[in-house]
Amino acid sequence: MLQVENLTIGYGKTEVVHNISFHVQKGEIITILGANGAGKSTILNTIVGLHQAKDGSIRFQGKEISKARPDQLVKQGIRLVPEGRQIFPQHTVLENILLGAYIEKNANKIDSRLQSIFERFPRLEERKNQMGGTLSGGEQQMLAIARALMTDPTLLILDEPSLGLAPIIVGEVFDLLKQISSSGVTVLLVEQMANSALKISDRAYVLETGRIVLEGKGEEIRNNSDIAKAYLGSI
Amino acid sequence: MQEIVTALANGSIYALMALAIGIIYSTTQIINFAHGSVIMIGAMSSYWLLSFAQMNFITAMLLAVLINIVLSIVIYKVSVEKLGDLTNNSRWIVTLFGAGIIIDNTARILFGTEPKAYPYLFDGKVIPIFGSKIMVHEIMMILVAVVIGIVYQIVIQKTNFGRAVRAVSFRPDTSRLMGIRSNHIVLICFAISGAVAAISGALIAPITFASYTMTYSIGIKAFAAALIGGLGNTKGAFIGGISLGLIEEIANMVVPGGLKDAISFLIMIIVIIVLPGGILSAKLFNKGELNAEKV
Ligand SMILES: Nc1ncnc2c1ncn2[C@@H]1O[C@H](COP(=O)(O)OP(=O)(O)O)[C@@H](O)[C@H]1O
Ligand SMILES: [Mg+2]
Repeated sequence: MLQVENLTIGYGKTEVVHNISFHVQKGEIITILGANGAGKSTILNTIVGLHQAKDGSIRFQGKEISKARPDQLVKQGIRLVPEGRQIFPQHTVLENILLGAYIEKNANKIDSRLQSIFERFPRLEERKNQMGGTLSGGEQQMLAIARALMTDPTLLILDEPSLGLAPIIVGEVFDLLKQISSSGVTVLLVEQMANSALKISDRAYVLETGRIVLEGKGEEIRNNSDIAKAYLGSI
Repeated sequence: MQEIVTALANGSIYALMALAIGIIYSTTQIINFAHGSVIMIGAMSSYWLLSFAQMNFITAMLLAVLINIVLSIVIYKVSVEKLGDLTNNSRWIVTLFGAGIIIDNTARILFGTEPKAYPYLFDGKVIPIFGSKIMVHEIMMILVAVVIGIVYQIVIQKTNFGRAVRAVSFRPDTSRLMGIRSNHIVLICFAISGAVAAISGALIAPITFASYTMTYSIGIKAFAAALIGGLGNTKGAFIGGISLGLIEEIANMVVPGGLKDAISFLIMIIVIIVLPGGILSAKLFNKGELNAEKV
């Protein structure tokens, strides 16, 4: 579904991601693990068109997308839940969700998706008229995911969804991702929180200062204590 | 009574001008230094359409609005998108000032240097209200400004487009992740700002005369009103505009004519020093909230 080949990305003259390749197949949950500053956000922002790669190719469902704009990619079914959630704090919860459906012009579709979002996230419905900024961290993460689901994406990408959340909430977020995945959405996530992410992942890549140094099944990587020590800190 | 209406009428137009500056500032944090010139072009182009092309007021106004929309889009494309990198630096300060100078000089060549008497709406008809003679034109100034102000707030608060504008003003990149083309939203805001500038320029021109120097004589008041109301605060723009109208009219009564503008600017400077976020940022208006509302 997503093929990244020989991707090199930088900011100005500094290269931060060097010639990486990875792929995501339909229905998989894939995790890219890496410490702070490894280049995870850079890769994701480049896939969704916020940043341009220096070199290499990104193909989605066979089509080259490395030059596409974010709005075009949203239309093709790729959605990113950005690092730090980045909800709109001065928009209401409902407005945040509706912004997620900005490209959808069909009011019936918007309505029915909104209904299923509210069924899945009753807490967001209770708070729909509250300002986004008044939600707790966990609720904001749910809101950020709900917002992305408003266009029925085929590939959902998440940048450190566990960042700054209490362990119980992290558990809820990963359960949710598993559910979303089993409803037919392909999931690509990047994380520093190795353990919970690997538990739900089919495969994982380990990224170290802009290079992929390891690839394997989620379980394998999780059970490899050397990897844990070397790249992921304590699990 | 007459003085109050005049103060409110002028103040309403200053408010519209400040609103137009605020529309751009609130979405981009860009101060459109060419705005005075855009207002002037609105006045001058409608003047020529009225007097030379002999059009009726509505047609001339619509065309002037259209001209200003095109002009504002060109200003955005050239001075902001091409030459002034929006996100990385403040080059737009120079490029927008430059655009203003080019527009002013072009206007001077096209329209001449002599100030033109711009016709009042309804031929300057005067009606008695509570025993004073009030010009219908002044009533129209207030009405038009109020209608535009209210429509703008409704659009911003209640529509898809308005939601997107507020989103882009807060997080342009995250907005792009929603599928919003942030630069299109900014472009549309420039266009709206230009349209509002045309209307405000045409309505104030009968009072000030139409001339290429309006950029400074009137444009500067637009910035004063915007700053008094709080830059980028589109509701504050109305407070700023009306305050400026009242300050001017009071200054007019107590000091010799030529000093009126000086007094207005003195007060503007005091407001900016005491309340850099504009009048609405005063504690009195916020009851414990942190900032004046952003849009
Ligand atoms: N906008 C930017 N400009 C310059 N350098 C950046 C920018 N964003 C990130 N970097 C650098 O790129 C590297 C990778 O950053 P990032 O992709 O954010 O890592 P991660 O998400 O894995 O923590 C870091 O060294 C960071 O300092
Ligand atoms: Mg990151």
